[in-house]
Amino acid sequence: MRPSGRLWYPSADIYQTPDGWLVKVELAGVSAEDLEIDIQGNQLYIAGCRRDKTCAVGVSYQQMEITYSRFEKTLEFPASIDGAKLEHNYTDGLLLIYLKKR
Amino acid sequence: MAKNTENTQNTKQEAKLNAPKQFEIAVLPLQNTTLFPETVVPLAVGRERSVKSVEFALSTEEKLIACLTTKTAEVTGNEAKQSDLYTVGTIVNIKRMMRNDGVMQLIVQGVDRIRVVEWTQEQPFLKARVETLPELQVKDLEEVEALKRNIMGLVQEALAMLPQVPPEARMAIMSQNNPVQLSYFLASVLDLGVETEQKMLEADTTDELLSQTHAALAREVEIMQIRSKIATEAQGEMDKSQRDYILRQQMKAIQKELGEDDGEKAEAEQLRERLETADLPEEVRKESERELKRMEQLPQAAPDYHVIRTYLEYVLELPWKKSSEEKLDLNEARKILDEDHYGLEDIKERILESLAVVKLRPDSKSPILCFVGPPGVGKTSLGRSIARALGREFERMSLGGMRDEAELRGHRRTYIGAMPGRIIQSLRRVAVNNPVMMLDEIDKLGNDYRGDPAAALLEILDPQQNNSFRDHYLDLPFDLSKVFFIATANQLQPIPAPLRDRMEIIQLAGYSDAEKLNIAKQYLIARQIKENGLQENQLEITDDAINLLTARYTREAGVRQLERTIGNLARKVALKVAEGNTEKVTITENEIKSYLGVPRFYPEKARDENPAGVATGMAWTEMGGEILFIEATKLPGGSGLTLTGQLGDVMKESVQAARSYLWSHASELGIDPNEIKENGVHVHVPAGAIPKDGPSAGVTMASALASLYTGKKVRSDTSMTGEITLSGLVFPVGGIKEKVLAAHRAGIRRIILPQKNEADVEEIPEDVRKELEIITANRIDDVLNAALESQPSEPVGKNYAIPDMEPHSDAIGESLIAKEK
Repeated sequence: MRPSGRLWYPSADIYQTPDGWLVKVELAGVSAEDLEIDIQGNQLYIAGCRRDKTCAVGVSYQQMEITYSRFEKTLEFPASIDGAKLEHNYTDGLLLIYLKKR
Repeated sequence: MAKNTENTQNTKQEAKLNAPKQFEIAVLPLQNTTLFPETVVPLAVGRERSVKSVEFALSTEEKLIACLTTKTAEVTGNEAKQSDLYTVGTIVNIKRMMRNDGVMQLIVQGVDRIRVVEWTQEQPFLKARVETLPELQVKDLEEVEALKRNIMGLVQEALAMLPQVPPEARMAIMSQNNPVQLSYFLASVLDLGVETEQKMLEADTTDELLSQTHAALAREVEIMQIRSKIATEAQGEMDKSQRDYILRQQMKAIQKELGEDDGEKAEAEQLRERLETADLPEEVRKESERELKRMEQLPQAAPDYHVIRTYLEYVLELPWKKSSEEKLDLNEARKILDEDHYGLEDIKERILESLAVVKLRPDSKSPILCFVGPPGVGKTSLGRSIARALGREFERMSLGGMRDEAELRGHRRTYIGAMPGRIIQSLRRVAVNNPVMMLDEIDKLGNDYRGDPAAALLEILDPQQNNSFRDHYLDLPFDLSKVFFIATANQLQPIPAPLRDRMEIIQLAGYSDAEKLNIAKQYLIARQIKENGLQENQLEITDDAINLLTARYTREAGVRQLERTIGNLARKVALKVAEGNTEKVTITENEIKSYLGVPRFYPEKARDENPAGVATGMAWTEMGGEILFIEATKLPGGSGLTLTGQLGDVMKESVQAARSYLWSHASELGIDPNEIKENGVHVHVPAGAIPKDGPSAGVTMASALASLYTGKKVRSDTSMTGEITLSGLVFPVGGIKEKVLAAHRAGIRRIILPQKNEADVEEIPEDVRKELEIITANRIDDVLNAALESQPSEPVGKNYAIPDMEPHSDAIGESLIAKEK
């Protein structure tokens, strides 16, 4: 993992399930509308942006360690996942993406 | 400080997409730092206005802030005005922020180059409208490629010299393909100075940026090369001294095994310690330290080691600055001199005069006195008394028989067994630099091919030069000017003139019998009683007995034999006392013979009657004075002059002068010139074995010859001295006191002296003078009139008429009967 400009790379786990793949991404604080998921061949591309929504007038930082900016993540699979059924939801701040064989 | 490469293009585009071409943004002034796009840098922000800028930036969603560098390092973030800041800077994204004691620790990453279009706010923090600057343009692809390759080469060179850079970082740098990114990275890593960095930031084309990077990097590499060269050299030196140290430690271990340890280091250490505490003149200290350093580098077994050690010890023991306290009280000094010596009034006066000068001007050059006189008159003990009167140390060295200059001045240290000269040795012994130093027997210095010690003395005894006396061994200047030199001599004449000239000569004559009696009574008897373990009430010697001792058992000008003879008596008495005799022993004149045997000397008595042709003269010897007889006899039919009795040239010539005078004035003196012409004459001066010389027997010769030719006897109660000239004048001579005393001892009561010696008569002790008739003479005629009997005793030679010769009453020298004074 190398730090990059405004890009950051969330960590991800990939599970093989009886009916396909489960991808778990450590992506807390990102709204669903800021999320972009795409499949190409055997690659899964996740990108988006974590925004600092706590900022308001009269509020200031004491410490800042969370990275607020765009992120992207490209995951490779051993086989093509083109045409897989894609579902995602947020559980406890983790983004879960299910890739199911049709 | 790894670098993202793959996503650069992407990022740039997005930044441009996200940011409007022109936008308002908070500004963070930076001192001494220039930020470049894509580089990740930690920043510390502490100043109030800057903190506000950062806080504002953090409160925006993008968390972007514009960093502008101040033109000079002196302007702080709080007071920086717009004019103090460069207009081209970098927008950075704040990645992390921590507060630490009110100081914000930021990690920022450069995003884009910007230019300030318009300042919009100065308080509470700086804000400006900025525009992003376009991507760098490539003008000449080949040139860019060439520069890039060169830069990579330089980077490789630099990395070779930086072993501390971790391999990952090397990989990252070497794999950076984008020359712009590489340049920015190098600029942020290297400390190129604000101006250079700002120029690189403002470069609009890749060509320009790369050529600047290349120049800066080349310079850096060169500096690094020089630095590494210096470092290598320093390292080399360190290695060498370290190696020496280790070897020395090993040597020590070996020496310890051999049982040669301790000492060496300790010795040098001790010497150093002593050197540091000793009170030395600057020049001496420097020289000693140099020698010590040399010694420390030598192994103990080296011969030089011990030479240097001895040398240093010598240097340390010398009294460079140590003087003994002067306690000069003239009354006290007079008392001491009187206590130690009988009589010698005028000499004591001279000494006190010299001491008075020393007292009045303590910094004045010490006088150099020279006592000249016969043995045993107290020259050495006078020196000792002077030291006592001055309260100084006394050191005596005998120069008699010294033939080698090195004895005085030392040998150079190159010679084995070299030692300092006697002067320096004496000073070390007394341990002060102002002793009274007695140079005994200065008239008996020898000299040969090894050098002339008298010449060395010239320097030592010259107050102008001896403040920096250089001993050959020490080779350091020593100040002898505080030393009170006293020389002694028996005779003045063997002392080289330049040496004589440097000294104040004080003549000590011999003592008369009366003086000897007093000295014996006051000093010698008491001292011998003490030395032989007697009590004062156990021995008494009568005056008559002492007189007998001086007359018949000793013959000297001084009192040394007399003291020895008294010591003899004392020992014999001591034997009696030890055997149980408790009564006081009184030795009288008559008992002397039973103690000491028959008298050893028969005084040279005046002869009862001299035949014609014999005259009584007086001679001066080192032992004092003596009378001597001059015998002349005619050799009928012979011719010329025969001289016997070991006469020196001067004395021979003086006989010739006397004869020639008589010959030329024969008729006036009633002499038949044919007597002289036709007869040879023989002059003999007993005792025949003793060499004699000097002109002072001139008048005696003339008297003897005149007596011979005229047939008139020379009065046997008369003795005479004086030099004569061919024209008949009588010149003064020396040693009058000794001569007269000797004549007096011999029973002579009439003395004929040169008129010019009248002053010396005063020196003759009064008791002697009283008994004498002293006649002074100006011309030979005066002498002859006083010396010869008026009538010839018998006819001399052939029958010829001797004209009546009335003594010219006016020609008789004024007779000087000693008067009471």
